[in-house]
Amino acid sequence: MSSVATTVPPLSRPAAPAPLPARRRRRRPRAAMVMTHVALVVSGLAWMYPFLWTLGSSLKGTDEFFGRGLNPLPSQLLWSNYQQAWEQASFGTYFINTLLITIGTCVGTLLVTAMAGYVLARAPFPGRGIFLFLISATLFLPHGYTIIPIFDLMEKLGLLNSLFSIIIVQAAGGVVFGTFLFMGYFQTIDSELEDAAKVDGASFHQTFWRIMLPLSGPMLATVGLFTAISAWNSYFIPLVFTLARPEQRTLSVGMYAFIGENSTQWTLLCAGSIITLVPIIALFVMLQRFFVNGLAGAIKG
Amino acid sequence: MNVRRESLAGRMWTARWSYAYALPMLALLLVFIVYPIAASLGYTLYKWNGIGDPTDFVGLDNFRRVIDDSIFWGALKHTFLYVAIVVPVQLFLALGLALVLNQKKLKFASFYRTVFFLPVVTSAAVIGVVIQLLFSNFGDVINNILRDLHVTHGYIDWLGDPRFAMGIIIVIGIWHTLGYNLVYFLAGLQTIPEDLYEAAKLDGAGRFASFRYITVPMLRSVGIVIVLLALVGSFQVFDMVQVLTNGGPYFATEVVNTYIYHLAFGGTGDVDPDVGLASAASFFYGILLIALSVVQVVVLRSLARRRAAK
Repeated sequence: MSSVATTVPPLSRPAAPAPLPARRRRRRPRAAMVMTHVALVVSGLAWMYPFLWTLGSSLKGTDEFFGRGLNPLPSQLLWSNYQQAWEQASFGTYFINTLLITIGTCVGTLLVTAMAGYVLARAPFPGRGIFLFLISATLFLPHGYTIIPIFDLMEKLGLLNSLFSIIIVQAAGGVVFGTFLFMGYFQTIDSELEDAAKVDGASFHQTFWRIMLPLSGPMLATVGLFTAISAWNSYFIPLVFTLARPEQRTLSVGMYAFIGENSTQWTLLCAGSIITLVPIIALFVMLQRFFVNGLAGAIKG
Repeated sequence: MNVRRESLAGRMWTARWSYAYALPMLALLLVFIVYPIAASLGYTLYKWNGIGDPTDFVGLDNFRRVIDDSIFWGALKHTFLYVAIVVPVQLFLALGLALVLNQKKLKFASFYRTVFFLPVVTSAAVIGVVIQLLFSNFGDVINNILRDLHVTHGYIDWLGDPRFAMGIIIVIGIWHTLGYNLVYFLAGLQTIPEDLYEAAKLDGAGRFASFRYITVPMLRSVGIVIVLLALVGSFQVFDMVQVLTNGGPYFATEVVNTYIYHLAFGGTGDVDPDVGLASAASFFYGILLIALSVVQVVVLRSLARRRAAK
């Protein structure tokens, strides 16, 4: 991280000294660039301060936690906080639950929205207009506290207190936005490939699964990332659906339960926060390249 | 064309796989979004604590009670204040940052993008814990600094003081969701063809002229979507308030969604849950928002027409 603080190194020196006027013209943007980096690093550090403080605090002892105040740096690195959070505070169990829920929600949302987005964009059917109107209208209707009818419904279906119930409710929550994004993206893909596949005798299914879906990589990454962020972090739905089953809690729910049960072990809580953060940050870093491109693709359409 | 003469049933049969592909999405939508909305519309007519089946029919009385409740109007005021500050400040900062990070020559742009996106991927639960620890346990440090600078004399309980709590929530709100707007703007900027800028440069246009005559008009349609998304998100602000102050102290930070939540699940103190009242408040708020968005569309249309007339 510290390597970033060093400002732009000149990429390559010209072999022969450049003529003076040309040099002068280049120098000014470079100074501006240095200033830009300084401003970005300073504001970035301030922006990240709560994270740095949490990271530091997760390695502090309890005395030091209170003694050092706003200084994020620990005097020694107490890695055992992580082991304790993982084992004693059940963050390990919560982690596995959260991981399963996130994977399930992502797979479900991606399949459902990619298929619906594809037929809306590329394989029109009678009633498409009504379908589109219906999904647009739900964006404007107040969702309010619809968790109560959903809870009743799951209870009647006998699905309560299972990870599956959390997955299906969360997947349903993201289908409209995801379908719109996929629809926008599929509309921009050139129809030549699809036509060529049809000429070669590819079926409807082959066209979708073998050609269109693999082509939609950036959008899979974008919708996948949106879904993963909201599934990994969601608090309310897992809270309501795991009230009777503490062993099915997710990280967010477990963290609040931990405060209620142990109001003094703040350093373990900080370690738990870092455990919660690292996977989703890693996912963002991996997918961010596709993410902006995918969004740009959907906007164009 | 032949296709047009085909019967509806025939066309539907031809498109049978399209229906099959759209079906899972439609099923989820009907079961988990449309049905619950319809069901909670029914609840608005009952006095019901959410246990068993609703039986105590009260007609439109719940709506009257919401309109008569000063806490509801207070919550509405706080929500509008939140939206009125968060949306413009956040969009301004996000656009500025996106313009800086979109420069081709800027190195480490993706690293900076990650830094400013970090709060978005962080759960409200983690932010709530960390910010509370920072303010309530170490508010002393900030208090001492302020006292040494002679800004204040006395102890301030940041999140527990009605004068500061809402301000802190607004600042954290800007910090938390700025990243989304940043990547939306970055995506929008990427859709502007590079040759437009090249051409402008050849014509001797400066940076400001390129921004004014290329970036702004090209970003307009994307920009409207970004503004709409930011508005929708801010009007539904909930979890940050819930984890930071739970609407307190003394309802000083109660926003509409926390108000509804407290009605539905029983709030602070000995208030009994009242799902009917909560549903009524939620619908009343929804109607207000729909009315607002209609006004907004009308205003945008007339502005566009005036521009076209010029």
